[in-house]
Amino acid sequence: MSNSIGGVGSTSNSGAMFGRVVVAKTSLDGHWRGVSVVARALRDVGFEVILLGMVKDREIARAAIDEDADLVGLNIGGRMQVAERIIETLREEGYRGPIFAGGTIPPYAVRKLGLLGVECFPPGSSLDNIVAAAIRLTSGKA
Amino acid sequence: MAVTSGELNSEQIERTISGLPIKAVYGPSDVPVDSSGVTALPGHPPYLRGAFPEGYRSKPWRIFQLSGFGNPEDEGERIRYLLEKGETGFIMEHDRMTADHLYDVDHPEVISRWEDVGLSGAVQLSARDTALVVEGIDQQKYFAHPGGAVVQHAPFALAAYWTVAKRRGVDIASLTGTGQSDFFLTYLGCITKQQIPARDGLKINCDIIDFCAKYVPKWVPVSIAGYNGADTGLNAFQELGSVFACAIEHLDETVRRGNLPITEVARSLGGMNFRVGMEFMEDIAKLRVARKMWHDLLTSRYGITDSRALKLRIHVVTAGSSMTYQEPMNNIVRGTIMALASVLGGVQSLGVSGYDEALSIPSEEAHHMSVRIQQILMHETNLPKVVDPLGGSYYLESISQDLEEKALGFLGDIEKEGGFIATLDSGWLHGKASDNQYQIEQAILSGSREVVGVNVHVGEGDPFNVDGFQGADDVFERATKRLTDLRRTRDSNAAMSALRDLRDTCITGKNLMSPMLEAVEAEASLGEIGDIFREVYGDWKVPISF
Repeated sequence: MSNSIGGVGSTSNSGAMFGRVVVAKTSLDGHWRGVSVVARALRDVGFEVILLGMVKDREIARAAIDEDADLVGLNIGGRMQVAERIIETLREEGYRGPIFAGGTIPPYAVRKLGLLGVECFPPGSSLDNIVAAAIRLTSGKA
Repeated sequence: MAVTSGELNSEQIERTISGLPIKAVYGPSDVPVDSSGVTALPGHPPYLRGAFPEGYRSKPWRIFQLSGFGNPEDEGERIRYLLEKGETGFIMEHDRMTADHLYDVDHPEVISRWEDVGLSGAVQLSARDTALVVEGIDQQKYFAHPGGAVVQHAPFALAAYWTVAKRRGVDIASLTGTGQSDFFLTYLGCITKQQIPARDGLKINCDIIDFCAKYVPKWVPVSIAGYNGADTGLNAFQELGSVFACAIEHLDETVRRGNLPITEVARSLGGMNFRVGMEFMEDIAKLRVARKMWHDLLTSRYGITDSRALKLRIHVVTAGSSMTYQEPMNNIVRGTIMALASVLGGVQSLGVSGYDEALSIPSEEAHHMSVRIQQILMHETNLPKVVDPLGGSYYLESISQDLEEKALGFLGDIEKEGGFIATLDSGWLHGKASDNQYQIEQAILSGSREVVGVNVHVGEGDPFNVDGFQGADDVFERATKRLTDLRRTRDSNAAMSALRDLRDTCITGKNLMSPMLEAVEAEASLGEIGDIFREVYGDWKVPISF
């Protein structure tokens, strides 16, 4: 019942039309409102969303590989260097898929992460645009 | 939300974000008459119109801004800056990563994200660090909030601040200030990686209440604070209902412990926090109704008659979630509107979120502006000269009654679920917040809720360049060095012995505040205290995943 907010609960779609998204928080800041809303929107259109919460870079990379993620979402609540290290680790561990990010990402960091191929959705981003990006980014999957 | 076009007639019903009806016109028949408090003057029960008869004429509200980042010296500098601008109390944010989780800076979870250290508050791992923050600040002069936002962190944060005062030769009984120990932040809005179970959190809060009554009598021991519930999604009546459900848990538990008269507990809990957002009239109504509900709850359920306990004092923080990332300077206007609502609602204390809230922690410029917004309202408008200036407004009185009715209903729902803590443990309250979060986003998407720069008047170019405040970048290194120095130079035997006493006390379930103070005085570190909490209390089972 209560798990439907986040974990694999009643709102997750096992019929996964679009694929699997692994979502993690980069920092030890546990504000969950943004993650929760985005996860719900992605599930509503048929993504399977796996929420990792606050875990370290290696754990995120391992989960992305083990879960065979089609897309990795990072909720950034801290500094960009931490996000950059997580992205680096994901690549090192062999995750080749797309990455997108949301959270309190100031404009300079949006530009910086853009150079790494990470699309950013700072506060105020439309849910439609986030969902559309997820569909576009995973559309190349087998 | 707003009526934008078309024929308008008085039958057409719009709704607030909480779902309360908004009619086009209100009249005398909308004003409630029975026992609603509408006709009682401010300073008279049930205090709907104000807790004090002369309002701001007798005491202006406290300008009280959330502040803190970087090294302790950076945080101290910012606090002194704010005080110089006219802030009349100060708040010390601690670094989230270490403070919220009770980790020392060399904990593996911290090391793996070391760049984040100090991003949202100063690292304070011992009383020595806290002393660096308050250097040059007269602790006896100012009302202080020395941190301890998260429940498990509060005993340490308070002990560190009081220890600094003691070392300066100040009698802690003379200090004024407030704890936080915020259930809404800790167990609802911002869930930490590790946290003691909510029931143990309540026990610790009651320890602080008992301790303050005896040794720091002017202190507000804990703050029942709806802000983080509201900013996580709870609407106005849900915030009211759950705040009082939280207060009931604290009142009942302190009564059960039997150390303090109920009136004294009620007095100490009667400084509460609410969020004010952009739902202008509803938020004003919320503050008025809060005072009435507190009065009614204490008189009817607990039989309290002492008027000092029955008068609710309110601190408001304006909604961070109302501040937009797009065109951030527009947030100065939003901050002003929310501050105005707070003043019209009769708050005793106010913090206005920074215009750069959606981008970063406040820059010096944003902090400056938040203080100036308050000062302009205070000095230029004449508003503070009249208590409850909107009292008697057909609309306000009508919506106040609607809100109270719904809030009492929600409080009843929580009690049916087994009480406030049960709704945290089960995730019931998180579910309510989550549903609203989603509805709000859907309303923004559909355009039924309009936000300038976000879904209306978008992309017309922002002439201002705000890029987010970046703070300090040497925090981890310097905090590590201070910790190493602490371990090397303290009297290790004294620290270990005090920690053993603290552990024993935690195991027996006695009040932990005295041994906490002794451990902090003996230079125990935050992480060492955290190890004891983790061993004795274990982890709260988080009812949601994110």
